[in-house]
Amino acid sequence: MQVSYFETARYHDPAAIPTYWPVPPGDYDPDSGAQAYHGMIERLRFVEELGFDWISVSEHHYSPRILTPAPAISAAYIAARVPRLKIAYLGPIVPQSNPVRVAEELAMVDTLAQGRLVVGMLRGTTNEYLTFDLNPQEARERTDEGMELILKAWTEPQPFGWQGRYFQFRTVAVWPRPLQQPHPPTYALGTSRESCEFAARHHIGLGVSFAPYEVVGKSTRFFREECARYDWQPAPEQIVYRANILLTETDEAAEKALKQPLEPPFPMRAGLRDALLQADSRNVAGEPRAANVGGVLPTTFFGSPDTVVEQVKRCREEIGAGVIDLMFRNPGSDDPGVLMETLELFGTRVLPRIRDI
Amino acid sequence: MFSEGLVAADGFRIRYMEAGQGPPLVHLHGAGGLRLTRAHDLLSRQFRVIAFEMPGFGQSPENNHTRDMAELASTMARAAGNLRLGNFNLMGTSFGGKTALWLALQEPERVLSVVLEAPAAIRPEGSGPPSGSPEEMARRLYAHPERIPPMPALDPTVQAKTRALVARLRGPDRDADLETRLRELATPTLVLFGTLDAVIPPGMGRHYKELIPNCHLVFVYDAGHAIGAERPEAFAEVVADFVERHEAFIISRTPTVIHP
Repeated sequence: MQVSYFETARYHDPAAIPTYWPVPPGDYDPDSGAQAYHGMIERLRFVEELGFDWISVSEHHYSPRILTPAPAISAAYIAARVPRLKIAYLGPIVPQSNPVRVAEELAMVDTLAQGRLVVGMLRGTTNEYLTFDLNPQEARERTDEGMELILKAWTEPQPFGWQGRYFQFRTVAVWPRPLQQPHPPTYALGTSRESCEFAARHHIGLGVSFAPYEVVGKSTRFFREECARYDWQPAPEQIVYRANILLTETDEAAEKALKQPLEPPFPMRAGLRDALLQADSRNVAGEPRAANVGGVLPTTFFGSPDTVVEQVKRCREEIGAGVIDLMFRNPGSDDPGVLMETLELFGTRVLPRIRDI
Repeated sequence: MFSEGLVAADGFRIRYMEAGQGPPLVHLHGAGGLRLTRAHDLLSRQFRVIAFEMPGFGQSPENNHTRDMAELASTMARAAGNLRLGNFNLMGTSFGGKTALWLALQEPERVLSVVLEAPAAIRPEGSGPPSGSPEEMARRLYAHPERIPPMPALDPTVQAKTRALVARLRGPDRDADLETRLRELATPTLVLFGTLDAVIPPGMGRHYKELIPNCHLVFVYDAGHAIGAERPEAFAEVVADFVERHEAFIISRTPTVIHP
């Protein structure tokens, strides 16, 4: 099992900030922001030392929780300061991006990072569509087309035009191309039938996230069936599972920390949330499921090191993931120092025991 | 509305469908014969579209006369001449793409621009034109056959006659003579491939771009081999823009102002 650390550039404001969406920018504290990015590098150097394989960054907007609206910038910054970790960009929100721009930026980051980039292409959660006024009903089709165009922009040796449904370009001729040829290891991120089918057709990986094994297991099984239809089988590292982890010395401590109610920190007004949910439609391997708008995400890995090792084994058996991308929850504290202790606990007592899973 | 006409050339009586006014746009069909699509209608809003039925295809008598693709091209050039079109733009689909290239090479003064829809002039080794039942044909021709009205059952006599003609005229998968000459083709050329073409891999498009000096390659997203039938608006928009503006078609004229 390979292990990835999901880096969110944690923002800690000494003052209380409003807890609704969108948080007014006037409440942003520039010094706390600077500290968040500075802390990121300290943490990642430590994570590298502990033997993690990847760090991951992702695109989130208008959020004090995850301070990375432009993850290509984070990725380039990290690449210059952290020498060995693979940098997983999971991922650009494709339906609200210019796919040619994404192809250019990622090729540039891969080259700057000397071929350490991993890419996930993402439809994005519904709330993100409020950033650039994207119609949620068009998100699925824009994602499918955008992903196709990104791959084409990386691989087609001749300049070409693109006559799409949502994107049109008369000339695409991307320089630089990625250092890793034909392109960096790439994943379609999502549980949907469309993501699985796309990944299978293009011989790329699949990234699933947060939901319990029985839910994401449906997607990874469907993905493998689709791959068989296209005459190939994914390697374990072509399935990534992103999940919350709450690691403590004892199971009791984790149980106690889990029981603390965790309110979604920046909820939308109910009317907006409900309207968004209605405008979106999602599925797991073709079975309809509700979209998530600011809801609390489950914590899959929790307990003592022994317990978490067993949970990781089950993860491999039940969903076939060869990479876990972990979002560390602080047990009972927002203190970044506590997070470093948790990381050390993971690095010394879990990581060596899941290497061969 | 397209109306039917007949024109004589090289001893053939050649049927054609015509609509629209403006600069002439001559269309040479694929191995399946002449089949008008919505793309023809859209193009006829801006151009005088003349879609020929090449001798030996469809309802025309069996053609044992034409020996090779270059000869078929010169017959079609004469047909266009006899219609007194003057200089014209030329569009070829699949098999007809190869005819169009030969015609453009033979008549560089008369052909203003060339549009190739999923051309079959450069093919991977061992590829063949789609054949079989209407359902099998639809699965090869379209990315989404379920979205296309079912094809009429083909007359077996017409099918047999056409198959023999195509086999005789289509030439080798890689035609060294043609490819050498394409390096000298100065006519502005647009090559289109559907991203889901199951007859000719869309990657073949880059060979035209490498060979033809003034060539543009465009991928039509989510279309199969029959691009004009499957994504008529997307196809007609870029074709019309190219025929009108040639290489300047890469300069956008699409307004983006929201509230003036």
